[in-house]
Amino acid sequence: MKIAVCIKQVPTREWQPRLTDDRTWIREADASFEMNEPDAYALEEGLRLREKHGGEVVVCSAGPARVQQVIREGLARGADRGLHVDDAGLAAADGFMVASALAHAMRDEAFDLVLTGLQSDDQGHAQTGVALAELLGIPHSTIIMDVEASDGRVRVKRELEGGWFQWVAMPTPALLTIQSGINQLRYATLKGIMAAKKKEIRSVAPPAGLTPALKIVGLSLPAKSKQTAMIDGPPAQAAAELVRRLRDEARVL
Amino acid sequence: MARETLDVDVLIVGGGPAGLAAAIRLSQLAKATGGEAPSIAVLEKARESGAHLLSGAVLDLSALAELLPDYRALGAPLLTMVGRERVYFLTEHRALRAPLIPPPLANHGNALVSLNQLGRWMAEQAEAAGIDLFTGFAGQQVLLDGQRVIGVRTGDRGRGKHGEEKATFEPGVDIHAKVTILCDGVRGNLTKQLRRDLALGQGREPEQFAIGLKELWEVPEGRIETGTVMHTLGHPLRHEEFGGGFIYALPDRLVSLGLVVGLDYHDPRFDPHVAFNRFKRHPLIARLLDGGRLVRYGAKALPEGGWNTVPRVYADGALIAGDAGSFVNSVRLKGIHLAMRTGMLAAETAFEALQRGDASAAGLASYQQRLEASPVRRELEPVRNVHQAFGHGLLPGLLFAGVAMLTRGAWLGDLHGPPGHTRMRTLRWYYGIDMAGPAASREVPPDRVLTFDKVTNVHFAGTAHDEDQPSHLLVHTEVCTTICGPEYGHPCTRFCPANVYEIVRDAGGAPRLQINASNCVHCKTCDIMDPYGVITWVPPEGGGGPQYSGM
Amino acid sequence: MILVVAEQRGGALNRASWEAVACAQQLAGDEPIAILLPGGGDAAQALAAAGAGEVLTVDDPALASYTPDVQVAAVAGAMAQTSPRLVVMAHTYQARDYAPRLAARLRAPLVADVVGVKGTGAESTFLRPMFQGKLVAEVAPQGDGPAIVTCQIGAFRADAVVKGAPAAVRTLSVPLETPSRQTVEPPFQEARQAVDLGQAERIVAVGRGIKAQDQIQVAEKLAAAMGAEIAASRPICDNGWLPMDRQVGSSGQTVAPKLYVALGISGAIQHLVGMKGSRTIVAINKDADAPIFEVADYGIVGDLFDIVPALTAEIEKQSH
Repeated sequence: MKIAVCIKQVPTREWQPRLTDDRTWIREADASFEMNEPDAYALEEGLRLREKHGGEVVVCSAGPARVQQVIREGLARGADRGLHVDDAGLAAADGFMVASALAHAMRDEAFDLVLTGLQSDDQGHAQTGVALAELLGIPHSTIIMDVEASDGRVRVKRELEGGWFQWVAMPTPALLTIQSGINQLRYATLKGIMAAKKKEIRSVAPPAGLTPALKIVGLSLPAKSKQTAMIDGPPAQAAAELVRRLRDEARVL
Repeated sequence: MARETLDVDVLIVGGGPAGLAAAIRLSQLAKATGGEAPSIAVLEKARESGAHLLSGAVLDLSALAELLPDYRALGAPLLTMVGRERVYFLTEHRALRAPLIPPPLANHGNALVSLNQLGRWMAEQAEAAGIDLFTGFAGQQVLLDGQRVIGVRTGDRGRGKHGEEKATFEPGVDIHAKVTILCDGVRGNLTKQLRRDLALGQGREPEQFAIGLKELWEVPEGRIETGTVMHTLGHPLRHEEFGGGFIYALPDRLVSLGLVVGLDYHDPRFDPHVAFNRFKRHPLIARLLDGGRLVRYGAKALPEGGWNTVPRVYADGALIAGDAGSFVNSVRLKGIHLAMRTGMLAAETAFEALQRGDASAAGLASYQQRLEASPVRRELEPVRNVHQAFGHGLLPGLLFAGVAMLTRGAWLGDLHGPPGHTRMRTLRWYYGIDMAGPAASREVPPDRVLTFDKVTNVHFAGTAHDEDQPSHLLVHTEVCTTICGPEYGHPCTRFCPANVYEIVRDAGGAPRLQINASNCVHCKTCDIMDPYGVITWVPPEGGGGPQYSGM
Repeated sequence: MILVVAEQRGGALNRASWEAVACAQQLAGDEPIAILLPGGGDAAQALAAAGAGEVLTVDDPALASYTPDVQVAAVAGAMAQTSPRLVVMAHTYQARDYAPRLAARLRAPLVADVVGVKGTGAESTFLRPMFQGKLVAEVAPQGDGPAIVTCQIGAFRADAVVKGAPAAVRTLSVPLETPSRQTVEPPFQEARQAVDLGQAERIVAVGRGIKAQDQIQVAEKLAAAMGAEIAASRPICDNGWLPMDRQVGSSGQTVAPKLYVALGISGAIQHLVGMKGSRTIVAINKDADAPIFEVADYGIVGDLFDIVPALTAEIEKQSH
């Protein structure tokens, strides 16, 4: 199977936000970057599928030169090659714009399966994977817990709300967004890290005419607008008052 | 599962300024001489180089200029050159400005840097030179064949809380090298092991350390002129505590500030973090930070003992460079350039030894000669007794430092100082009364705007470890439940800047030590300062630890 | 006009559809609103009765069980016939599954997971979380065509829908010629191996104030009465009193339920970052200075062992 895994490079989880002067993006110089955690599950799933069915795993990422870090991390864990859509302008791009860039680079590769994470930990649009499926003209399914691949088809277990699940089958090529937490990404071994240096990363330019679908007008820290209502009185009375407020005011009971 | 092995010519442990300078220097030597380049591997326990690096910092550019003369063209992250300089003596409410900048604290011509960013940049240079930098790999154990160092074993990965092998389990890797250069930082666990196994400290003064706590703040525009460098003495430290504060104004409204305290204080109830909060509440600093925002927090120990505490830094198959060898000038508060320089000298020694085919102690002994002929000795030897002099108090220390400067270190005999943790007095000795139970604190509680409690602060260190792994703090004896409370009052709960150690009491009030290992910021203070010497810090699973972006 | 896309499964309307209507009403100003219910059926009547706008249905057997191909065709077809300026739906699993595909097909900007709107009309902008809630982004869709908006569950209140005179139900004729590439099997329920606190609508969390493992049952009784999941701050999970998958915080899960009740939790920042996005936060703690009160909507300073049983009793009383 020829498997593509799309991985995004995002600021590290504990990063404290610092904004550019016009507040339309973050100060990247202050941030450290890492592989988007939801994509790590997709990578592990891709590597496992290759172990089971043979073939190759290609790590794909779009963004400035620094995203090669996550491509290398994927190669160090066993992916065979990398594909980098090299464009600094994609660092702050919305999901559709990124999907367009990836589709342009991936179209000729004829992948059997494309795997992505659910969403990115930075902008969190949860769109890139599904939009990519549309642009590549292939069927898709999302929030996938389990993948059974056979000749020309995949049967996947999709998670629904409230503890419900559903098996869905479709022909390949297909795209799947992988549920977080279904596996644990393997470590990169020393040999893997050394071998990664020799593996190919094909760098391509983005397509002409890419424009943003969304514009960030401004970023801000969430405002602390809470006024805490303290409820006094003896326990029974306070409890009754709290229940009343939760039921009538907050409407959560 | 079989253990992976790797054979290299030179193994460098530590991806900080010393280790990376060594790696870069080795690749330069290989290129200059032509022929087959030695195989080099660098191990770094952090997820990326720089993540565990923290310092003020004002960088003496001399070593960088020698290592990479075109450092500016290569984009070295020098934030700004030092501008306005000030030295203050602080009392609780006032700041008395020194009329002159004492020469050791004069920084004109030096650059303000973030050591984290410098480390990242140096790693890029090393990788550009083709060096294999293995991040997320912690050196667990030096491999010895008799007295000869044959390499390093890295830590296992994928062990659960109780030591069990998880699905992702990978045993540690054995890396065999002809020469191992240990650059594992202050109180490096591998250097510590080697000191013990090969008695490297014999005939030298015991190591001395300090702890530095640092924060990075974003302040309102125009609050302080970029490039301002301020150093303080006095409050909140008493005459018996060695150390001082620093405030550096960086570009983009960032301010780096911190407090350095010698880890040889007497008062068992002394808490460096409490002192740091007192420092921040001083009007000089509080006014500066007013309306600003905390961006990051961190803490690390630093070597303070100076030239006389430098151990034997060569052995069969091994060399020691950087903070691990105590190469820090505590008077100038500088060690980064010394780390780089000793790393470069170690590289030159190793390269020569490989060429001659002799990496024995005899073959590597030229490192000692190189050091003695180098600016490292010229800088460290004259001030070799200063820290030990401060052991007698602030005033004697200052006088001594002054005399040392004037006489360029000529002295009749060297001063001796016992290891810092032995200078901690018991509660009874220090407070004169029986203190068995927890005592009320007269300390001003943190206001969560300017000052924070440790738990909140440690959140801003960005430290993260896989929760499901064995604790990496090994406490060897159960002193916690027996004698420590009455004798010292559990000082680990105070000197740890990250709230790793907590004493919880069971229903009967009996104390039990709870270790919050995943809060650890890898500062090494506990390994250094525990009065019984029963805490051993070993590296947690590679990749875990603080994320000191911009620090 | 604004087109709301409602969601149903097996004839039952997803409650979050009303939240989408509320969102659309905030955006509409004077604009008409229409509500599209793919699949039609009885649920259309409930929508029409609210009188928030004309109800449009696409009735086709292919819509009986959801597949993205058919759903996209149905909604795109409805959009072609109604030319909405905005399409609004709730950010459900189903919306996540097909809305980006619909948006890509039509080259329509998609603003997902919206928590607020600014302004009405063509100039309105949308607020959505970024960087895992560390920042709020104000976002503007680009271009002249329609935009699609999905609103975060619970960000808009179903009970805030302004009702009107009952509206009509109209069936659209949308040919769905191309069969779905997917074949779906019937959904089934399964005992989940790990708790997904991210799905819970209500959470009761315990911290150090619970003091002992066998006291957690005080909180569990409250959770049962409220229909809530149990969660905990890190020390509780570190002690092994509750499994790791119940941990909320920087080293556990990040949750944003409708109701979060924090019992004996001080509110260390490591815990707050995991739950401060919750819609309503209740804190019960003995310490009036505990930081948890800074993020709470309702607070009671007192002994949780007195207050929580009283609370449980009160809720049980109310439900009878």
